[in-house]
Amino acid sequence: MPDNASQPLQQVVIVGGGTAGWLAACRLAAATTLSVTLVESPDVPTIGVGEGTWPTMRRTLAAIGIDEADFLLACDAAFKQGSTFDGWVTGAADDRYHHPFTAPAEGAPRDLVAAWQAQGGAFADAVGVQARIAERALAPRQRAMPGYAGALNYAYHLDAAKLAVLLRDHAVRRLGVRHVCDHVDTVVRDAGGAVSAVHTRAHGAMAGDLFLDCTGHAALLIGGAMAVPFVDRSDVLFNDRALAVQVPVEPASPVASTTLATAHRAGWIWDIGLPTRRGVGCVYASAFIDDDAAAALLTDHLRRTMPERELPPFRRLAFRSGHRARFFDGNVVAIGLSAGFLEPLEASAIVTIELALDHLVANLPPTRAALAPAAARFNAAFRYRWDRIVEFLKLHYVLSRREEPYWRAHRNPATVPPRLAELIDAWRHQPPSDADFADREEVFPAASYQHVLYGMGFPPPPGAALRTDPQAEARLRGQVAERERVLAAALPTHRAYLDALALSPDRTAP
Amino acid sequence: MTEHQILNADTHRDLRIATARGAAWGDAQMACLLTPDEFRRAQGDYPILFRWNAARDRMDAYALLGFENGENLFLAGDRWDAGYVPLAMDIAPFLIGRGAGGGQVHLDPGHPRAAGGAEGVRMFDELGRATPFFEEKVRRLGALDEGYHAATGFVAALQRHQLIEPLTLEITLDDGATNRLLGFHHVDEERLRALDASALGELHAAGHLMPLFMAVASIGNIGRLVERKNAKAARG
Repeated sequence: MPDNASQPLQQVVIVGGGTAGWLAACRLAAATTLSVTLVESPDVPTIGVGEGTWPTMRRTLAAIGIDEADFLLACDAAFKQGSTFDGWVTGAADDRYHHPFTAPAEGAPRDLVAAWQAQGGAFADAVGVQARIAERALAPRQRAMPGYAGALNYAYHLDAAKLAVLLRDHAVRRLGVRHVCDHVDTVVRDAGGAVSAVHTRAHGAMAGDLFLDCTGHAALLIGGAMAVPFVDRSDVLFNDRALAVQVPVEPASPVASTTLATAHRAGWIWDIGLPTRRGVGCVYASAFIDDDAAAALLTDHLRRTMPERELPPFRRLAFRSGHRARFFDGNVVAIGLSAGFLEPLEASAIVTIELALDHLVANLPPTRAALAPAAARFNAAFRYRWDRIVEFLKLHYVLSRREEPYWRAHRNPATVPPRLAELIDAWRHQPPSDADFADREEVFPAASYQHVLYGMGFPPPPGAALRTDPQAEARLRGQVAERERVLAAALPTHRAYLDALALSPDRTAP
Repeated sequence: MTEHQILNADTHRDLRIATARGAAWGDAQMACLLTPDEFRRAQGDYPILFRWNAARDRMDAYALLGFENGENLFLAGDRWDAGYVPLAMDIAPFLIGRGAGGGQVHLDPGHPRAAGGAEGVRMFDELGRATPFFEEKVRRLGALDEGYHAATGFVAALQRHQLIEPLTLEITLDDGATNRLLGFHHVDEERLRALDASALGELHAAGHLMPLFMAVASIGNIGRLVERKNAKAARG
């Protein structure tokens, strides 16, 4: 189309609300001069994608222009300092490790591993304080600190439905996003195959230069109109069902600041604490247990903390692990569930949305001619990221020593991606380091692999013939101990922070 | 008035002290005790004046923070708008008590900082060990205690040389309102100028000369304090 190759991209149409759609609307409206329209069907209920975020969410909310305290109150949010894994190695009562967000203390991976070996105990405790701070149910920051700043790195647990409402209000009232409540019935494509408009029931055709598919599992544009195939990853990650429930919590009860992931015989259970409720869900593989067995596992888990109370009915979700072969096709970009879905073990859903938007803003195609190269770059970057996430999730299963059929199947070499198998081989001889992960913006840094590897009892590599600083171990131990003394004294409990925030006179939840 | 308590790790294991600045935390005071050791750091911001205690048997130096009771013009919401916070302000809600074995740390349980609630900073950990914050408080309490005792000799020397005279200050604000500052004293510059070499030598040998000149220089801060007051009045 030589006649319109130089046509500037001005109109963005986002199809679908929810977390992905409204994050996209806010981010694009705040960072670009594009005119942004979001079409949201009144008929389609939004699925709350994951209630855990990554620390990146602080940067995203700041970029959008939302105050942190306003966000915490509006979304019934709490702080997340990492994940706690129960029962993943053997299933024994004391089988627990932490994957905190704060990066390990300064030092080469070899030195950190050597220092940990010298002092014993858990890897996470040897290289940082966050696991112990989280065990004490302390907040990662004080209220007097500027918004989005922390004494420790942190993300959020939140009510995803409330987040979508907050983002929608902000997008429409503050950022000038046009919100159309209408049902898209057809996608109109031009002669070159690009989408030229979406046709809506009441508002007719809505034309645009760039279309974001935020229609969730329906994948109306990327899967429907553009017919980009879905790449199934269930050969690596077996889980395909979840039962979800929300239960109230007692006032003044401690609020956990890590996502608790408890392994069971054919999957795992998430447990996420908010100020007023817990979100709990059982993830499982239907090839190994049926819905009733999963419901029994979830009931057992809930009964441990609330033996008396009547349980609300469980909501059943079916999913398929995988992603699109391409995420950016023609002038359509898939953001959110339309791009793919993986089990929420490391809360990768929302961060993937944020990364896609960061990439789009940083590489915004100015004209139609720029679309094809932009799409090629986007697809390469995100295929790399999805592959890394799949591998990192698989790592949690491969390292287990549980003997149930589900876990044994997970360790079958035929189900392990070759790159992961190679890395695990390499890590028998040297610890994960940045050299293993070459991307400038890795989703999971080497430190995350160290936490899972050594948290799960993977043998540390033998010392290499290197000269090491004999003082390094004592120095690290001193630093960690001193930091723990300071933080344990200075940080309020997570519950005290959230209750004080809710009561602060100058704030009212919007 | 609440009884001061001797601080100990068992009774005060879970004590949290509010560390934020603000009127609600007891910071809204028009003057704060200052020791000569602090004059060098204080003279950049505060007028340093002298005042008798209630019993009129001891005179101490003070940093002037405002012109009427409860007015601290260095307090900007939750921020202390000066580089140096006087020790006597900083150690609250703790005090030095005198026991058989010397100085003890006492707590004023009625101080707002002691009732700071769940968001304050712990003084002891779960096992009753002092936290770094408590160690720092103890260090500052010690410094204040030492400075307070050294101050006796300093003020006595100034009195001996008749260098302290009452200060009568009437401040007229931009809006025409006037404030009178009563009961404060300052260093008499005329008499200071008139001191002979032996008097100066004596003051110098005792280490009093440096804080003395710091106090003299600090008087220029009165004008800046008036500006703060005018700015505050203009903001409403």
